[in-house]
Amino acid sequence: MSNLRRTSSLRRTQQRMAVLFILPALAVYALFVLYPLAMSLWGSFFIWKGLRMVEFAGLSNFSRLFIFPSGARLYGALWHNTAWFFGIMVFQNGIGLLFAWLLFLRDRGAAFFQSVFFFPAVLSPVIVGALWRLLLAPGGVVEWALNGLGLHQGSLTVLGNSHTALTMLIAVDAWNWMGLPVLIYTAGLRQISGQIFEAAKLDGAGNARMLFSIALPLLMPAIGTLTTLSFINTFNQFDIVYVMQGVQGNPSYSTDTLVTYFYRLAFGAEGAVGITDIGLALALGTMLFLILSIGTLMMLRFFDRRTVQL
Amino acid sequence: MSALAISQRPAISRRIARLPGWTVLVVWAAAVLLPLYILVISCFKTTAEIYDNRLGLPKSFAFDNFVNAWTRAHLGQNFVNSLIVTGGAVVLTIVVSAMAAYPLSRYRLGWNGLMLGLFLAGIMLPIRLASVELFTLMRNLDLLDSLTGLILVYSAIRIPFAVFIFANFMRVLPSELDEAARMDGAGEVRILFQIILPMVKPAVSIVAIFTAIAVWNDFFFPLIFIFDDRYKTVPLAISVFVGQFRTDWGLVFASLAISMAPILIMYCLLARQIREGVGAGGGMK
Repeated sequence: MSNLRRTSSLRRTQQRMAVLFILPALAVYALFVLYPLAMSLWGSFFIWKGLRMVEFAGLSNFSRLFIFPSGARLYGALWHNTAWFFGIMVFQNGIGLLFAWLLFLRDRGAAFFQSVFFFPAVLSPVIVGALWRLLLAPGGVVEWALNGLGLHQGSLTVLGNSHTALTMLIAVDAWNWMGLPVLIYTAGLRQISGQIFEAAKLDGAGNARMLFSIALPLLMPAIGTLTTLSFINTFNQFDIVYVMQGVQGNPSYSTDTLVTYFYRLAFGAEGAVGITDIGLALALGTMLFLILSIGTLMMLRFFDRRTVQL
Repeated sequence: MSALAISQRPAISRRIARLPGWTVLVVWAAAVLLPLYILVISCFKTTAEIYDNRLGLPKSFAFDNFVNAWTRAHLGQNFVNSLIVTGGAVVLTIVVSAMAAYPLSRYRLGWNGLMLGLFLAGIMLPIRLASVELFTLMRNLDLLDSLTGLILVYSAIRIPFAVFIFANFMRVLPSELDEAARMDGAGEVRILFQIILPMVKPAVSIVAIFTAIAVWNDFFFPLIFIFDDRYKTVPLAISVFVGQFRTDWGLVFASLAISMAPILIMYCLLARQIREGVGAGGGMK
């Protein structure tokens, strides 16, 4: 009986202590993340004057998003983000899988190559963007090297050309984050039992066959993690564009993304006069929030179903 | 892994078969290291020398560019600001997240799952989209142009990930640990900071490393919250330099080198922990 009372008094103390212990983290998190996010979603249904909410507007901000002049920006940015995602899936996560497989097949050197490949990922995208902006600039070292090798003639203008600029930014982003798929895939490969590969080898399977028929299906959780992370990162893309092409996504909006467009609407760099349009910005934010959350949930479910249990 | 090395073929032909693979790996390693090599040697060159001598070592290792970047371009002040913000955010994140994770992972409250779920949702939330409302909030709290403001925002953003890591590590510790201490009359604060926290040192280092990297590198929040040059952080200053000193390449290269130095040092010391942390769950965003 006294034991029981002690337990229940311990429970009460624990409830009180728990609240005190959780409160600081919860307060900071709720005030600076949950509250502004909820207010942003709510505010997208209102008409704004400057930074002040005026009256309820229903879905009018959303319908304005899709028509002239914002429609062209929206579809442009949406397309650039989508292209960016697929570009990263192929050039970063696809080639990254090849690198991881090559490292997995070797007894030595894995730690060294992993460390080298991952190093750019710990650098700020601002540094990476600034570095590549200097290297790719007209008169920069890449131009010099390509001219010297006879692969190109004259001034290199890949960043100033609206046909190549986006591809260049995707390549720089892939260079930045290549180490991430390499690390996640090698960790995933090492979790697969060596006996499976040995048995396949005895059955006469080559390296390519083992990669596609055995490793790939068993790597589904790793592929799911990377696809989801890449999706979230590419649809939040801002820093590299800002540093390399400016907040307008130059040249002629060819590298504009949803977040750079959002930034211009919210903080006043859109259009010739640079007036903010908070209602439109919040509607764009809400749409992006929906794209990200629905997309992420669908991907998690998709890869969860395809996980192979042994 | 060694299982794969077993092969019936003779050693020489096996080595030749591996040559293409090695070549691919070495080419990418060169693609990573060459730009960084050019960055380092260009720091010691004048702009004219950068054009004349692309890949060679500089004529002399003069530190003019570094001195100019540090003083004339005021990178020194930005550097100190970044150190304060990063240090502050790391400490605050670790303390409040460990405190929250302790009862959530070790008490039976009846609402642990719900509260953990609320924190975990924050790992995925796109906080940049809330920046308008966040701006208004910061203005009302008088936290614009303030390093304290940045520390609070960064901690808020990193708390979900930190709570997740701490809760995972604390959950698996034996329950006798805190029960014995409680019998001896230790208070809950002491149990957490003197018994539990030292047992989850790997979690502390994972949280510290990834919070430090994310905060040191961030550019978006200083861009919208900081206007006064005295409070700018390094990435924000760099984004200005690239346009401002466009013709002075040596200075820009030197400021890039200065701004990545702390991360480079940390990476060399902690490469293994970082590799394992990322491989285990993609700790980075």
